[in-house]
Amino acid sequence: MMLWKNTINELLKIATKIRSYIGIGALTLLILIVLFAMKADGKSYIGFVTASFEQTLSFNGKILNGNLIAFIIMQMLIVHVPLLISLVTGDLLSGEEASGTIRMLATKPISRSGIVLSKWIAATIYTLIMTVWLGFLSLFVAKWMFGTGDLIVLNSNGLLIIPEADLAWRFALALLIAFLALWTVATLSLAFSAFAKNSVGPIVSTMSVIILFTIIGTLDVSVFDAIKPYMFTTHMAAWRSVFEDPYPLSAIWESVIILVAHIGVLLGITLIRFNKKDITS
Amino acid sequence: MALIEVSHLAKNFGSFHAVKDVSFHVNEGDVFGFLGPNGAGKSTTIRCLLSLIRPTDGEIKFFGKSLNQNRSEVLTRVGCIIEKPDFYKYLSAQRNLEIFARISGKDITKRQIQEMIDFVGLNGREGDKVSGFSHGMKQRLGIAQTLLHNPDVIILDEPTTGLDPQGIIEVRNLILRLRDEQKKTVLLSSHQLSEIEIIANRMVIINQGKTIVEGDVHELLEKQSMNLEISVANPTVFEETIQRDFPSLTARLVYKGTYHIEMEEDIRQPLIQRLVETGCGVKAVIPKRSLEDFFIKMTEK
Repeated sequence: MMLWKNTINELLKIATKIRSYIGIGALTLLILIVLFAMKADGKSYIGFVTASFEQTLSFNGKILNGNLIAFIIMQMLIVHVPLLISLVTGDLLSGEEASGTIRMLATKPISRSGIVLSKWIAATIYTLIMTVWLGFLSLFVAKWMFGTGDLIVLNSNGLLIIPEADLAWRFALALLIAFLALWTVATLSLAFSAFAKNSVGPIVSTMSVIILFTIIGTLDVSVFDAIKPYMFTTHMAAWRSVFEDPYPLSAIWESVIILVAHIGVLLGITLIRFNKKDITS
Repeated sequence: MALIEVSHLAKNFGSFHAVKDVSFHVNEGDVFGFLGPNGAGKSTTIRCLLSLIRPTDGEIKFFGKSLNQNRSEVLTRVGCIIEKPDFYKYLSAQRNLEIFARISGKDITKRQIQEMIDFVGLNGREGDKVSGFSHGMKQRLGIAQTLLHNPDVIILDEPTTGLDPQGIIEVRNLILRLRDEQKKTVLLSSHQLSEIEIIANRMVIINQGKTIVEGDVHELLEKQSMNLEISVANPTVFEETIQRDFPSLTARLVYKGTYHIEMEEDIRQPLIQRLVETGCGVKAVIPKRSLEDFFIKMTEK
């Protein structure tokens, strides 16, 4: 009961903070910019990609459609959305410490674990809203602006054309996996937040970990091969696998399990840290 | 009945012993002064009382129950201000109170919140964001937050810090109202010793992390030596009389014709009688047995 009541409080705090809308605003602006750019010069962009196939293939129908734009937007933004999310989630515990309100909060009859869990639930809801907003803008607005059609995906195996009728569930599943990846980032920044006294540290630390892990993931050095499969950044792009044919179900499951395991471990670290913490600020 | 019992409390931060051995008890209906010089361990002790800091050793009981094992139940019956009350600045006063009311462990209506806003004199400002509040207004909002769930015990850590004289008087009057009208038990930590002397009935003094003395404020003050401040029209005669008839007393000139006298025994009556007989021109005799003197004596040991 107390957990639920404090979750309402946490959602209220998120909803009334300006920084919460920076993420949503930036995401909206970025998507609108991409949509505008595609509307203005999308054909030459697509032409650049399809030029190498034009000798052997003839394309009928509308290649530059809402589904393709949504796919492009998701690829471009999934790297930047973690920063926008950690702006809010990295502040959840450290912000209370910086403003001194942690004293008021921790002297109420809610357990320390209750405080962490309510913040984590609120962070999850915020991440979900960001993901849904990303999906709505990239899919529905793009379809409204560019119409609909089959999706052409260029991957390492060549060119794959996915029929329009087969796309709705793929986008839904892709957004769900993207949400899991962003949820991991949100939990990571909440964990950093439990160790910090202001929100700058957790935000910078979260982005540093993502950049570091991503670099390690792209380095073709055998010494890192053993850890690469277990780094969450390796699985942040797992949503792309949904747009393969046949889609690699076992690889997708593996990514889901690793991301969920990260969330569990990071949440556990946050709970232990915050429960043991002496509040001296 | 003791509502708060602290036994042999200790807290170490690494190798630093912030609190070594603090024990005291606060009875129902007490306004209990919690005193000590800077660095004595007051704030650490109070934070231990409110479970913000985990003690290294010792036991804390509220209402006869261990704080450690009954944290939520205890905190439902305790209200507090730790140093300065901090609020969510981007929210209004009312919204802040709603947030804290929701997790107070009791069902608090909007009407009760409004009544509390009225009680601390913030009516008309409840819709304003806290970012625009003065320190005094935040302090009053802090007191509203403290009393919102009608706690049995109120813990106030330096509630008058940073307040102007008017604000100090307001907080003092509010504590007196809590004591007299609502029969609340208050633990009050303050550097304003005159404040404690006026409103507290019991007190503890701690120094270097240890309890120095605990007891009834007035009984403790009675035990210490009596000081007098005497103003006379004829200082020369006064000094001669003291040297001749009361050689054990030391009279220290404070200001023109005004002397401070410290006496181990209460010899006020013969002293004043003799001063009148010798024609010193006694203009004023002010007894000085203040908590300030007592505090300094205790913490200098």
